[in-house]
Amino acid sequence: MKAYLSLIRIDLKLAFRQKVVIFFNLLMPLALFMIFAEINRTERSGGIGDVVTMVSVIGILGTGLFGAGMRAAQEREANVLRRYKVAPITPLPLLVASMVTGLAVYMPFVVLMLTVAHVRYGMNVPSNLVSVLVFIALGVTAIRSIGLIVGAVVNSTQESGILVQVLYMSMLFLSGATFPTQMFPAWLLKVSRFVPAAYIVNGLQSILLRHETLWTNWPGAAALLLTTAVGLLLSVKLFRWEKEEKLRPAAKLWLLAVLLPFALPGLWHLYTGA
Amino acid sequence: MSSAAIEVRGLRKSYGEVEAVRGIDFEVAAGEVFALLGPNGAGKTTTVEILEGIRQRTSGDVRVLGFDPDRQKMQLKDRIGVCLQSTNFPDKMRVREALDLFGSFYSQTRGTAALLGRLQLEEKRDAFYGTLSGGQKQRLAIALALVNNPALLFLDEPTSGLDPQVRLEIHALIAQLRAEGCTILLTTHYIEEAERLCDRVAIIDEGRIVALGTPRELQKAGEAESSVTILCDQTLIGRNLPAWPGATKTELSDDGRRLTAHSAHPARTLAGMLNWLEVSRIGLEDVRLSRPTLEDVFIAMTGKRLRE
Ligand SMILES: Nc1ncnc2c1ncn2[C@@H]1O[C@H](COP(=O)(O)OP(=O)(O)OP(=O)(O)O)[C@@H](O)[C@H]1O
Ligand SMILES: [Mg+2]
Repeated sequence: MKAYLSLIRIDLKLAFRQKVVIFFNLLMPLALFMIFAEINRTERSGGIGDVVTMVSVIGILGTGLFGAGMRAAQEREANVLRRYKVAPITPLPLLVASMVTGLAVYMPFVVLMLTVAHVRYGMNVPSNLVSVLVFIALGVTAIRSIGLIVGAVVNSTQESGILVQVLYMSMLFLSGATFPTQMFPAWLLKVSRFVPAAYIVNGLQSILLRHETLWTNWPGAAALLLTTAVGLLLSVKLFRWEKEEKLRPAAKLWLLAVLLPFALPGLWHLYTGA
Repeated sequence: MSSAAIEVRGLRKSYGEVEAVRGIDFEVAAGEVFALLGPNGAGKTTTVEILEGIRQRTSGDVRVLGFDPDRQKMQLKDRIGVCLQSTNFPDKMRVREALDLFGSFYSQTRGTAALLGRLQLEEKRDAFYGTLSGGQKQRLAIALALVNNPALLFLDEPTSGLDPQVRLEIHALIAQLRAEGCTILLTTHYIEEAERLCDRVAIIDEGRIVALGTPRELQKAGEAESSVTILCDQTLIGRNLPAWPGATKTELSDDGRRLTAHSAHPARTLAGMLNWLEVSRIGLEDVRLSRPTLEDVFIAMTGKRLRE
């Protein structure tokens, strides 16, 4: 338990000491939000809620994939993780600390964005504020757990950069955050059911725009929670402390299970025809 | 089981085609300082990292503090201190934070303040890791290895690439730990490090132990002889030199004033030389006796030179 607390503490300190972390988790999404909000205001194209949803998802994907996916690869490459390997700890506290840090650096931005949306763009304070925040937090942990898997399987920072970009772009597109899913052909819509980010968009739209709660959106919330749990479990199984460690054959089987958090909710959706 | 801190029997390790360790045996007793001495690629790091529980052996029996490093990793790691040959910390981590952090992983700790003092890192306690000099980074690495007050300490090339001053400081620290009864396994390419600091030395080359014993035993076993050198006040060229007692081979310098005799019984040889000088009325300006070094032993055993 001591190890969890001290790793979380140091991880937070290190995160807030890095300018890039502040830039990508706070300044850039905030700038993005202002730009889209201004465009939205002059064009009167939709509600400010749509902008909040879109920017939230862009931010969640960024903080989850880049934050978690690149960091482990970098630290492994720099022989930082090796030092932890000789200490009597498992990878779990390291991964949990990364998860908590992801939330701690991103949630302040969400609060700030909602405040600006309210004060400057006249968005009503969501009556279900807790649902909004919890749902976004679930989104962060789900995407971050996928980032942790990426960090575990790649062999270099470079590889990680490529994989993260690919995942980022495809999830952003398929989630419907930037491009409305109504315009997707039927088959693509089915594919998007397998993308965790789509659950974040759908859930946020319901909660933010249609004033529903977390409870009425429980399947989405459950899918994100499941993704978090499975992702965390896998990233523990696949964790590598040093670059010389090859992925064991058994670990490769585990890798197949990566598809599970994507597949289960998607299949369930197809099955129930929702 | 005996009270040995480390027991290794028939240890082997292959990386694919490469056989890094090819069947080695040794024991390290509690309280002993033991060195693995060998050139680059000899298999030193591979061996110690297997003992530390961070690499898997291919075959052989290994016990460290009574634990099997492959099976009882956590118990073992909790009791040993490790200074790896190559590690790093995040640049933005402070010295004090690193010590606090690693201290929190163990069931017992020595306290950050005490370690900062011991490793002379007090002024650097709030410095970022990225700003430390090579010597300071190494001192921090050693401080971290001591954070759990370990029963057994592994130091993998603790002084490589450091300037002589820092190296001496680290030697002093190791001597101190030794006096306190800490068991230490260190690896080195520096002969004098092994000679000066260690109770016993295993010379390792190409994955095999080629010699093992106290530095003195190795010097004897290496069949390397002592040499006696005298410097005279006049040339010996043209003189009829006798056969020196005990000497196996003699050399005369170009100017004929410096005479060197190799001998297994240097005292007898020297006495013979002094006698002859007296009788021949030749003045003596200097005398030197050199005992064989581990370096000589190493060269005799492996036919190679260690890099300095
Ligand atoms: N992870 C690895 N994968 C493949 N080969 C390796 C690996 N680690 C070491 N080797 C090889 O095993 C042999 C022994 O390496 P090791 O690092 O144990 O030597 P060493 O005695 O510590 O050398 P040095 O003095 O350079 O540190 C070398 O030939 C090395 O190339
Ligand atoms: Mg080495």
